[in-house]
Amino acid sequence: MFDFLAPATAEFLVELLITFVKVVLIVFVFVMGVASAMTLLGDRKQSAKIQNRVGPNRAMLFGLPFTRILGIPHFIADGIKMILKENTVPDGAHKGLHLLAPALVFAPSLIGWAGVPFMDFYCTGSITVDPNTYREICAVGPNGEPGVWRNYFQIMNFNAGLLFAFAIAAVSVYGAAIAGWASNSKFSLLGGLRSSAQMISYEVSMGLCLAGVLMIFGTLDLNEMARQQGYLLWGWLPMWGIVVQPLGFFLFFLAGMAETKRAPFDVPEGESEIVAGYITEYSSMKFGIMQLGEYVAVVFISALIAILFLGAWQVPFLFGDGFHFPGMETIEIPYIVVIVLRIGSMLFKILFLVWLQFMMRWTLPRFRYDQIMVLGWKILLPLALANLVVTAFIAAIL
Amino acid sequence: MSAKKTENTVVVRKVVRRKMNFAERTYIPEFAKGLAVTMRQFFKNSQPNVEKRDTFTRMYPEEKTVYPDRYRGHHRLMLRDDGQVRCVACMCCSTVCPANCIHITAAEHDDISIEKYPSVFVIDELRCIMCGLCVDACPCDAIRMDSGEHIQPFGERGEAFLNRDLLMSKGSLSMAVQGGENG
Amino acid sequence: MAKAIIDGTEIEVDKGTSILRAAADAGHEIPHFCYHPALSSPANCRMCLVEVEGMPKLMPSCYTQVSDNMVVHTKSERVIKAQKAVLEFILINHPVDCPICDQAGECKLQDYYIDYDTQDSRLRSQKQNKVKAHAIGPEVVYDGERCILCTRCIRFCEEVTETAELTVVERGDRAEIRTFPGKSLDNDYSVCVTDICPVGALTARDFRFKTRVWLLTSTESVCTGCSQGCNIHLDHFRNEAQRYRPRFNAEVNDYWMCDSGRLSYKELHADRLLAPVINGAEANWYEVCRNTANKLTKAVEAEKNIAFVVSPQASCEDLLIAKRFTDEVLKTDSLYLGGKAAGKADGFLRQADNNPNRRGMEAVFQDRAFKPFSDLIEEIKSQKVDVLYMMGSHVPVDADSRAEFLNALSNVELFILQTPTQGDLSEMSNISLPSCTHAEKSGTFVNFDGIAQVFQQAFAPKDGALADGEILTRIAKRMDVDFGYKNLSEIQDTMFNIPEPPPAEVAEETQTEPSAE
Repeated sequence: MFDFLAPATAEFLVELLITFVKVVLIVFVFVMGVASAMTLLGDRKQSAKIQNRVGPNRAMLFGLPFTRILGIPHFIADGIKMILKENTVPDGAHKGLHLLAPALVFAPSLIGWAGVPFMDFYCTGSITVDPNTYREICAVGPNGEPGVWRNYFQIMNFNAGLLFAFAIAAVSVYGAAIAGWASNSKFSLLGGLRSSAQMISYEVSMGLCLAGVLMIFGTLDLNEMARQQGYLLWGWLPMWGIVVQPLGFFLFFLAGMAETKRAPFDVPEGESEIVAGYITEYSSMKFGIMQLGEYVAVVFISALIAILFLGAWQVPFLFGDGFHFPGMETIEIPYIVVIVLRIGSMLFKILFLVWLQFMMRWTLPRFRYDQIMVLGWKILLPLALANLVVTAFIAAIL
Repeated sequence: MSAKKTENTVVVRKVVRRKMNFAERTYIPEFAKGLAVTMRQFFKNSQPNVEKRDTFTRMYPEEKTVYPDRYRGHHRLMLRDDGQVRCVACMCCSTVCPANCIHITAAEHDDISIEKYPSVFVIDELRCIMCGLCVDACPCDAIRMDSGEHIQPFGERGEAFLNRDLLMSKGSLSMAVQGGENG
Repeated sequence: MAKAIIDGTEIEVDKGTSILRAAADAGHEIPHFCYHPALSSPANCRMCLVEVEGMPKLMPSCYTQVSDNMVVHTKSERVIKAQKAVLEFILINHPVDCPICDQAGECKLQDYYIDYDTQDSRLRSQKQNKVKAHAIGPEVVYDGERCILCTRCIRFCEEVTETAELTVVERGDRAEIRTFPGKSLDNDYSVCVTDICPVGALTARDFRFKTRVWLLTSTESVCTGCSQGCNIHLDHFRNEAQRYRPRFNAEVNDYWMCDSGRLSYKELHADRLLAPVINGAEANWYEVCRNTANKLTKAVEAEKNIAFVVSPQASCEDLLIAKRFTDEVLKTDSLYLGGKAAGKADGFLRQADNNPNRRGMEAVFQDRAFKPFSDLIEEIKSQKVDVLYMMGSHVPVDADSRAEFLNALSNVELFILQTPTQGDLSEMSNISLPSCTHAEKSGTFVNFDGIAQVFQQAFAPKDGALADGEILTRIAKRMDVDFGYKNLSEIQDTMFNIPEPPPAEVAEETQTEPSAE
């Protein structure tokens, strides 16, 4: 029946299994488990620390006081509360779209992770590094077979990864807009409109910043981009995005924060003006999904910034066979340690950026809506354009 | 228009605000300063030594506040030397009570030297505003609020009506002479 | 006539007037314990000492008569010193148990201590122990330690009631008030001694430990115990009457009132009917007025025999409405006399007629004839009465006749009762309507002597009760008759139906005498 699959079946099934494991590890364990929990924790405990408070610390599991640690039982309780609460749909709301909107907010922020590399391809053979170009070469396998690159640390590797991530991120604007429109509430509608206007405005600048990065690296493949950021400029400076595109990094970071609709750019929610914006009429787990979607979006934006500007999984001067500090001899390191260091580096960068975003969130008061528009159109856009022109000019000369 | 202008007698005071310089208008240095403040607090309050943190929160049930000596807490009814209630039901406390929370029913005591005592003495703690006027009004040192306990929360309304025996169980002997110095 | 200067005020008084009274007329208060305007002056408390120029010693002002060209100082240094000394002397053995004492708040010793003394006691000796809570009479309790031996109570029993039960026994600091052997203070006016006692030595058994006097609100009212109409202070606390106290009225009761009248305040709260009842079921006023009006309209249209029992317990205002109700609504002239049965007169205050407003009823109904209540019983028995409307649940007949009346009631088609209390009569009625007591409304009573006296509302009517006149007005309105009164004074203007002057003389309520407490 599946004869046409026969030659590839074994290999295909293994491939399928590996992909499945990757999806589970990345999406469920890292994104939803670790990153979201850390984000929740950051949201509550980090703000508490900044504001000289203690934060939640009373709830415990099964009456055991030691489970109070970091107030984590509060988050579990929150989740249980969300699930158990009554799911209300306002009178006159469009029931189908009202139900669809949380999915449209949540799904893109998860799908985007398909292209995010947590490590370079895995080399089945022995790895060597070209001392002149620092290119990693997968030479001979342990049993003499030729070395093969295998994709174990990225769910899906394709050469338009950046476009994919960017496109998927842009889809979530539909979720907010539909949520606002389908709720049959003035507050929700205003929130939805604000949210779409804000996201579209900042996507323009974001796109232009990406164009600058594209010109430097000449590829849309996220893993290839990451790999190129390991190269050394003038023999000693890692060619990270932040080094070659400092203004781009700054603009992208700002626009990315605005994209996530969180303070100080949280006018779509603006509780002092429009209750809770487009999530006003959501309750129960639908509300929970909306919130979770926002948290995941924060983590996703951090991942994108880390890939584009902070060298993704790169550790400075660390290559496949060890550290190559300029002007020093190579420090040999086993390949397995290199892998662990690189994955750790990626995770650390993502969490650091999340932490930094929260720091900024609790530092700044909310911008007025006109200030957000001015920032987006009058400041970020011209700067991004100028950045693009200058980058293009330099790229043409070199 | 001009006529209106002359009629307008409102004195407009113009508030001159300091102009922001370029660095301030770029927002970046000021933002960095703000970020420095939040960062400092974050790390200060994250250090393992709790004493050096800036948080003032007290971990209540484990770490109790010591009330000052004059804290007005749970009411109590003081006792005579033989353990009977000191109160003579003069109703000074219920008269002075601004919340009308003290209810006393006087009765004839078998002992002729005591003559009058409260057969019912109920304090509605839900109404009580803890002003302490009842203590000031008492001529017999019979009611006090120096138990040092605060009022516990009540499960139901009826529990808030503290009766005489409960108030007496918190009581003790008084140093004052019953009936005054020359009594 | 004698002219005198008291504290710089020149005053002319009749010969024989005491300095204390003359000073009161001149507006100077002289403190006093033993003096009482209705009693003789023994001048034994020495609190009222004043300085008279030309006299070597201070004179008791209650006893000394004003003579021509007398110059009196009531606030001189000597007088103040004497007042302090007297108070200190009295307080040597006074227990100062004010928290326990019922008199606290209306005690002359307390007031005078604040006004004239305010010094700490200098004595460290043990106080005399005397009798405590002694039942000197069935209604009066005596406390020997608090007694200041002013002998007001003794003089009251000698001069007012002329029963002379009390005297002073022992001497010096062991002196006490006691009854003569074999006697007890149980005359009909015994509780008056608690009113005149300046301290808490004599207190009323009924009011003992009941409440504190400073919590009471006092309303000027009239006792409804008999047709004497003694003026009273109705002292009440939280919508409940706590006691009656006599109010001075020289023309009616002077300073006194009888014990049974004093205790009649208990009737104000006993067995009250709290909501209108139709055939055993509670109803609201709207329903009950409509129901009653429908039934009465049918009865009037069918020209049934309607009997109306008028109560001399009701006020003149209510009776005027009742008169118009019978004339214009029921269109009946078979009026019967209700109220309480007659009692015994004692020749002092107590009158034989137990109804406070018989004269008022006669004045309001004028020439209308009342049939006696016994006639009503006969007519009900012979089934001549179809509808009976009764004001008040009192019946002026003896117990046998009352039982007869109750038995005969089954012959009545419709029995409507308007009453403040519930009892066998209200249970037998088809419709019972709760009316209020005289403490819950304002109105006028005319006493046996023809003196119209106004009483004031003390507190709000209990639950659903309404004034008699208000009930009748509401029913009449349902039957399309509007009496057209907007307020009580409009009724008062027309109730005696005499064009000029509107009401009969209203008793003088202001008291110019020196305080008599």
